[in-house]
Amino acid sequence: MSSHDIPRTSGFRTEEQTYQELEKIKKYRDLEDQFYSLTAANNYEYTPDLFQLTTKLLKLNPEYFTAWNVRRRLLISGLLSRSSRGSSRSTALSTSSSSGTTTHSSAALSPSRSTETPPSRESQTPGRPGQNGTTAETDKAGQDTEAKKAAAAENDANVIQSELAFIFPLLKDYPKCYWIWNYRRWILELAIEHLPAATARRIWEEELGLDSMMLTRDRRNYHAWAYRRYLVAKLESAELGGKSMVEEEFDYTTRMTRVDLSNFSAWHNRSKLIPRLLDERRASDVARRAFFDEELGRVKEGLNVGPEDQSLWFYHQFLMSNVTDYVGRATIIPNLDFKDRITYVTTELDEIEELLEDFDDVKWIYEALMEYTLSLQRLQERQLDAAEKERLAVWLGKLRELDPLRNGRWDDVAADCKL
Amino acid sequence: MSEVHEAKDNKLKQLPDELQLATAAHVKYVQSLDTRVTEYGYWMTQHLRLNGVYWGLVALHLLGHPEALPRDETIEFVLSCQKDNGGFAPAPNHDAHMLYTVSAVQILAMVDGFDELERRGKGNGKATVGKYIADLQNRETGTFAGDEWGEEDTRFLYGALNALSLLGLLDLVDVNKAVDYVVACANFDGGYGATPGAESHAAQIWTCVGALAIAGRVDLIDKEKLARWLSERQVANGGFNGRPEKTADVCYSWFVLGSLEIIGRRHWIDGDALVEFILSAQDPEKGGISDRPGDMVDVWHTCFGIAGLSALGYPGLEAVDPRYCMPKSTIRRILGE
Amino acid sequence: MESLSDTVWDVVICGTGLQQSLLALSLSRSGKKILHIDPKEYYGGPDAALSLQEAERWQTEQASSSAASSSIFSSARIWQPSEGAGLSSSRSYSLALSPQIIHTSSTLISQLVSSRAYRQIEFLAVGSFFIFKPSPDPSSQSPPSLSRIPSTREDVFSTTAIAARAKRSLMKFLKFVLDYNSAPNSEVWQPRASEPLSAFLAEHFNLDAELQAYVLALTLSLDGRITARDGLATIHRHLTSMGVFGPGFAAIYPKWGGTSEIAQVACRAGAVGGGIYMLGTGIETVAERSGDSDELVEIQLTNGTPVKTKLLVRGDEERVADDAQEISRLVTIVASPLSSLFEVVVEGAPAPAVAVIAFPPGSVTEEDRSVSEYPVYAFAHSSSTGECPSGQSVLYFTTLATSTSEAVLQSALDALLSALRDGDEAPKCLYQLRYKQSRGLTSVKTDGNMVQLPAPSLSLAFDDSTLQSVHEAWRVTMGSASQEPETDYMIFADREPADDYDDED
Repeated sequence: MSSHDIPRTSGFRTEEQTYQELEKIKKYRDLEDQFYSLTAANNYEYTPDLFQLTTKLLKLNPEYFTAWNVRRRLLISGLLSRSSRGSSRSTALSTSSSSGTTTHSSAALSPSRSTETPPSRESQTPGRPGQNGTTAETDKAGQDTEAKKAAAAENDANVIQSELAFIFPLLKDYPKCYWIWNYRRWILELAIEHLPAATARRIWEEELGLDSMMLTRDRRNYHAWAYRRYLVAKLESAELGGKSMVEEEFDYTTRMTRVDLSNFSAWHNRSKLIPRLLDERRASDVARRAFFDEELGRVKEGLNVGPEDQSLWFYHQFLMSNVTDYVGRATIIPNLDFKDRITYVTTELDEIEELLEDFDDVKWIYEALMEYTLSLQRLQERQLDAAEKERLAVWLGKLRELDPLRNGRWDDVAADCKL
Repeated sequence: MSEVHEAKDNKLKQLPDELQLATAAHVKYVQSLDTRVTEYGYWMTQHLRLNGVYWGLVALHLLGHPEALPRDETIEFVLSCQKDNGGFAPAPNHDAHMLYTVSAVQILAMVDGFDELERRGKGNGKATVGKYIADLQNRETGTFAGDEWGEEDTRFLYGALNALSLLGLLDLVDVNKAVDYVVACANFDGGYGATPGAESHAAQIWTCVGALAIAGRVDLIDKEKLARWLSERQVANGGFNGRPEKTADVCYSWFVLGSLEIIGRRHWIDGDALVEFILSAQDPEKGGISDRPGDMVDVWHTCFGIAGLSALGYPGLEAVDPRYCMPKSTIRRILGE
Repeated sequence: MESLSDTVWDVVICGTGLQQSLLALSLSRSGKKILHIDPKEYYGGPDAALSLQEAERWQTEQASSSAASSSIFSSARIWQPSEGAGLSSSRSYSLALSPQIIHTSSTLISQLVSSRAYRQIEFLAVGSFFIFKPSPDPSSQSPPSLSRIPSTREDVFSTTAIAARAKRSLMKFLKFVLDYNSAPNSEVWQPRASEPLSAFLAEHFNLDAELQAYVLALTLSLDGRITARDGLATIHRHLTSMGVFGPGFAAIYPKWGGTSEIAQVACRAGAVGGGIYMLGTGIETVAERSGDSDELVEIQLTNGTPVKTKLLVRGDEERVADDAQEISRLVTIVASPLSSLFEVVVEGAPAPAVAVIAFPPGSVTEEDRSVSEYPVYAFAHSSSTGECPSGQSVLYFTTLATSTSEAVLQSALDALLSALRDGDEAPKCLYQLRYKQSRGLTSVKTDGNMVQLPAPSLSLAFDDSTLQSVHEAWRVTMGSASQEPETDYMIFADREPADDYDDED
């Protein structure tokens, strides 16, 4: 999207560099010109030339979303058989198709298909059996229909695998390119539509492995986490004959936070999984409370070794909001009585204050003390007492000293508390 | 009537010469963008051309040089990008997409060119553009797709409300559903993600908060929590990151600041420190602003860097509207607010 | 083609130890005429990895040859408890003579990458570092145990072996080390730079004896008395290496024999670059010279061939003084995969092939009840190192040489096998090779057109200062060309186009 992390240079180029840059531009523009002329001339019927062109262009520039779009149209119109499972979700939203050519073209059954070359060289699609006979003749014979179906499924499986293989290295090199991720999702949807359920499921399962690999390479990748939630939701769905994966995914966040406590993406995902996890476990109030205590213990263990880590403090806030901020929200421990709520907050205040003995220069500790003192007062629906005000004033003083960037905020707190 | 920040109102401390905004250089930089045909990068970014015009134009307007790009040529280029379905592509030979359609509407709004769209646009001018956008709404969930291939993201939802409100065509979509969808994207930390379940992200937050602001539903935001999370985006060097534990990047100056402004908490961060960070990422000689000091400049960071400075009341800059990332004067002219 | 004798060589390199081989790699695109010889029949010299047969011959040579008394290696002895039963064929093993782990932040790695030599090397992860804990009461039945050393915040977070308050102290230290050269932190340790690290840990960070032992183990210090200055530097290297190449490991080990493999790959690069290689050929005599550096060096090879060269580079494999630092080594093949040492402990981490076990001073008890004075370190290599067949492992023990060090190593081996027992039975030992290795020359010696490289370092983690000697020898060889700005050191393009997915052209 923009030039992130590219060092600024003098901008001076030698003659040789200029020449090489111009050559590169020429090569790229030649491809682009061919692409334009071919897309302008045909209505997105599949031709090997055009398909190869999108391959070349996208390798040079995976942000070229129009080339991805053309590739989709070519797959639908030429390379893939008609959907074997009846739906047509692989087409575009019907109302807004830009060219009106995204419905299945008659080219899909044209005999010329047998002369097509495979989609891409590095992922040689094996020959597609069953396509030598002309479609008109084979359609007549009943027993051939089954064979034809099988051949079509095999063809589609090859096409889909070959597309996934084509995208994979691009994704590794451009892990933040929206268009690649989108295209990959679209291809996976095709698998559901065109392949036998078991095959489709296997492809989706393998995809989860790829996603884990992407997250090992960059554990905060926003796209890869979104993709993971998307994959899991689909793998859980009836569409792929799935069942809940909430336990596995919860474990995954445990493992990811063990690699890196600062992985806020993993903590976030965890916060989203927990309510479902407890529901699916049909956890009793006792079990919920035990779960909550364990989770609170875990994050406090983290704070004990990394009190300067805001990810952990945000997660701590998430947990504590289940105690303090529960009205009208689905919470981990819905049936906690008022007395216990107060106990939780006061215990946290004590334990957080204890951290100050070793870490008196960590602003997060003072901020948490301030927040939970105010939560307690709100929970008890009372005014701050004099002792609390005194302590708040001290903590705010430390915050102004340790975190002057946010002095405007500390001013607001002081004003709100009438300090 | 334009609204320019006056120096006397400004509390920013006096910065050294190399940290003064290089207005003339930035204007030149934006003007040069369309002539860099001997650079490979120019050809590799054709898919952003119309966005680029929007980013450049915002920068120029805020810098007080709206005339630096010729109006007629700009309108000509925008209209050349329109497709038969009413949507806009980033450049004539590309496909239409929400992202470019919104840019097209914003550009036309800034150059006061809606009349030209009515006269020379495809179909029925504004109405056709509005229909293209409205058709991308998912009527079940309220969110929007980017194009016919169905990718959904709160960026597109925001874009739709932004463009439709400028066109005066918000009634073409189910705004309440869209608002519900944004609410479903809220997280425990007060922030918003790209879809329900997604992690809070400063850029997504700005689109969600902006969408709620355009829809008149800022009341649905947990302002305390969100402001706390947003204010923590400012790191020691004065810049903002987009998520916890990430490095600062100039573009988040805008996303964080715009959001804080909408919820009335701009004073929760240190403006002086941010100004210094943005200005240290500018190229004072050749113009343009980069993601962080020492990196290559580009028009995206130039736009959001200058918008950030404007939101901070930097002297001499036109005031920016936090919901639209466009000059306040433009929004006032169009919405009559 | 000219004969060996007719050619005037730019440089003759004798020995294929790591340093000579890296020199050959660095010269492989220089266009120089290079003759690279080694008196041994295998590559690697003192860094070699040997088959059982080669080890047998090596031991015999060490024991019998007249040169043995002056070699850096001594007291070599092989022992096969059950006459070789359970062992596979000789060539299924490659036992490394000087195994070293290589931290991912080491300059060696960046040179292997920039010289493109890394493409021929398979790097394996060095996983957990353990500390050995003797049984609490020797008379009781409870066996000794191993405890994983936490070296990242996440490790400290996860471990249950350390109390909450102690964790804070340890974290404070780890944070301090990461930034130990900053001005405020330097002020803290500089005044105490020459004091033992352990005292610094105790007094400044309040680390108890157990945590001190953890930290010291990470330094791999041979005498356990590393100074604060050196200790902070090595722990800094360890911490900053963690996660560089992937989660969960700080160091790597090249498959098929570690540095021996790097030496071979470097020699191969030398050969591809036109260098002539002759194994089993050493130097018989070097002619007396006037000392004029323009004069050619005249050499008689052991096969009788006379050769002339502008420069002769040799490695040092001779003991220099009786008081030089010396270590005892014990290499043993074990009839067990020792799987518990090679577990993947973090998500996404590769399966480790090497584990490190540290025995702090005093933790190894001998039969006469005396305890070890110095630390003992063991490298456990799984069969994925290619050094033994699957189902077996190789353990490499090292400690400072003393009058009792051999016995200490034997006790450490027994104790480790006892700690690793699975059920009733301790893993069985199939083979043992023991020897001593001393430190020879420690810096490059240049005398006219004769260059002598230092002997291999005894340290257990690859020591980047080794590379300075190679660089220095390269400068001498290149002469004035090494000064020219366009002459890069160890930076080469791929000889063949890299195998990536770009299928254009």
